[in-house]
Amino acid sequence: MSPINTQPTLEGMLETPISRRRALQIAAAAGAAAFLGGTSAARVVAQEPVTGGFRMATWIGYIDVGEDGFTHPSLDRFTAETGIQVDYQEAVNTNEEFFASQLQGPLSSGLPTGWDLIVLTDNMVQRLVNYGWLEALDPAATPNFQANLLDIYRTRDWDPGNLLAAPYVSGMTGLGYDQAVTGPLTNIDILFAPDYAGRLTYLTELRDTVGLSALRLGFDPTTLTEEQWQASLAEVKTAIDAGIVRQMTGNSYVNDMASGDVVLAVAWSGDIAGTLVPEQAEGQDFQWTLPDQGGLLWTDNMVVPKGAVNKAQAQVFIDWYYLPANAAEIGAYVNYVVPVLGADQAMVAIDPALATNTLIFPDAAMIERLHEFQSLDLDTDARWTAEFNAVVGL
Amino acid sequence: MSDFSRRHPGAVAWLLLAPGLLYLAVFYVVPTVQMFLVSLQTGSPGTGYQQTWNFANYPAQISTYWDEFVRSVAYGGLATLLCFALGFPLAYFIAFRGGRYKSLLLFLIIAPFFTSFLLRTISWKIIFADNGMILGPLKDIGLVPDSFRLLATPIAVIAGITYNFLPFMTLPLYVALEKIPPSLLEASGDLYADTRSRFFRVTFPLALPGIVAGSLLTFIPAVGDFVNAELLGNPQSQMIGNVIQAKFLKAVDYPAGAALSFLLMAAILAAVLVYARLAGTEQLYGAKA
Repeated sequence: MSPINTQPTLEGMLETPISRRRALQIAAAAGAAAFLGGTSAARVVAQEPVTGGFRMATWIGYIDVGEDGFTHPSLDRFTAETGIQVDYQEAVNTNEEFFASQLQGPLSSGLPTGWDLIVLTDNMVQRLVNYGWLEALDPAATPNFQANLLDIYRTRDWDPGNLLAAPYVSGMTGLGYDQAVTGPLTNIDILFAPDYAGRLTYLTELRDTVGLSALRLGFDPTTLTEEQWQASLAEVKTAIDAGIVRQMTGNSYVNDMASGDVVLAVAWSGDIAGTLVPEQAEGQDFQWTLPDQGGLLWTDNMVVPKGAVNKAQAQVFIDWYYLPANAAEIGAYVNYVVPVLGADQAMVAIDPALATNTLIFPDAAMIERLHEFQSLDLDTDARWTAEFNAVVGL
Repeated sequence: MSDFSRRHPGAVAWLLLAPGLLYLAVFYVVPTVQMFLVSLQTGSPGTGYQQTWNFANYPAQISTYWDEFVRSVAYGGLATLLCFALGFPLAYFIAFRGGRYKSLLLFLIIAPFFTSFLLRTISWKIIFADNGMILGPLKDIGLVPDSFRLLATPIAVIAGITYNFLPFMTLPLYVALEKIPPSLLEASGDLYADTRSRFFRVTFPLALPGIVAGSLLTFIPAVGDFVNAELLGNPQSQMIGNVIQAKFLKAVDYPAGAALSFLLMAAILAAVLVYARLAGTEQLYGAKA
């Protein structure tokens, strides 16, 4: 139906009506040119100011919330300072779900995922590192990150040089309990004793649950051998089979504690302070303790998946986050450990009480008792996951 | 068009079926075949999956998860029986005694469905909390011991499944009972039937198609349910649905998950075939509406 353009001159083009097919072709060519032009512009990173936007996937409750409950003042400030738009999505519910639904498909086929920055926990980041599915961060583009990362994160054997993962917040796994019911608790033994049988929960994260079991037996989760793993897992199995453990939960133990069904749990530090304490009822006294034997330190990291289109913009955000004032502003809402040097001093200006809160800025004595679970290669990860699932009835 | 249908007698039927068949082919047959092929693979996301025709996967999964299979069929079966015990009187009452309020009562049965399945199950955690609105007063009076709990037990799981699938049983029962012409019941009275034999020899056999339909609609999804076991159960009461979910999401072991899914399908199919043979035939009771 399109008239054959026998006059390829400007006059000819103006005279010939453009058919719909031709218009689509022009639009496609224009779009392709803009896309190619846009990506090449994004790759010319270093000295030119970066603009545009990026897509970020993260967990619920990991950003400050304004008065209306919808806006994020820190992100607005970031956009005002840098001109980069942030498409902030609380799309991560669990590491596994996000991996299965968003990452495994595209990345295993070598395609981009549509995300530029993702916040995932250590074990999932290790898996991505093993698959080679992460983009390396450019040290020249992230000077604040390189300078202000706390020392305890600089010796990760799975990320030499800290080029793949930038810690966002850390959390600690320890004892969460209602002191009004149990009294003060400081020992992991109580999790394996029948005192509160049927009223305590473990976490479905094997690194947290079996990690605490290992600490109780005197092992270091950072250097767990196969025999130590089996021994720690056996203790967990004994407790579950004896009916001591009410349920294996994810984050939902928080609801059970609030309703009083559960009085003791393997708990994450920020949940108690940030979620339970503000809402606690008369007669409840929620506490979180790092046990005497120690606890687990886990980190939610900012990573850039392979093929991310807006990697430059994501790097700008990572570097912006590692300015102490910015990390402190976000940390005041999140109630988890802030991994940025100098953030505790910056916190004094925001909320002096939080600046000395050991759940957000653990002191040296606590840091000594905190252990990161060791990084696992893919085979061991799969095998230990299968063994743990078998123990918890799955 | 009539000329066409005369020359190609069966073609019109096929043409009318074509959209439905295409839908089934694309969204059911193709994924099922693909899942079957996945169940015969070996590998992992890191090393990739190879098609090794690993039929040994199936016996391995059966032996490992036999307990969970039996438990799922048991929970699903119990829930179906409970749904029937609760749903049949309900449907009977609405069909025969509902009168002007039939629509309202039916609406009340469906009303919980307006909230999400997940929310309804979570609400049970609030209602049956250890010291909540039901157990709290009972414990205060002393009717139940202080350490008693309903949540995180198999009872809670079965109760949760029953609650969630009750409308699936009640509505087909209602439809079947409603279709029974009152004249048949009057006629049975004329032939000297008392209330009891009228029920067992007229009403119940005529309701049988509804009972079969309701049972299937309840049993099949109940066996594969995992939400109730996850929220209301404990580590000893996990169902095969939970295992399959863990295989796909936590262990990232797709061949195992796919094999378990097919085994679940086969188990349900076997149970349904046996049941349909036993209960589904009109000749068995000589009942014909």
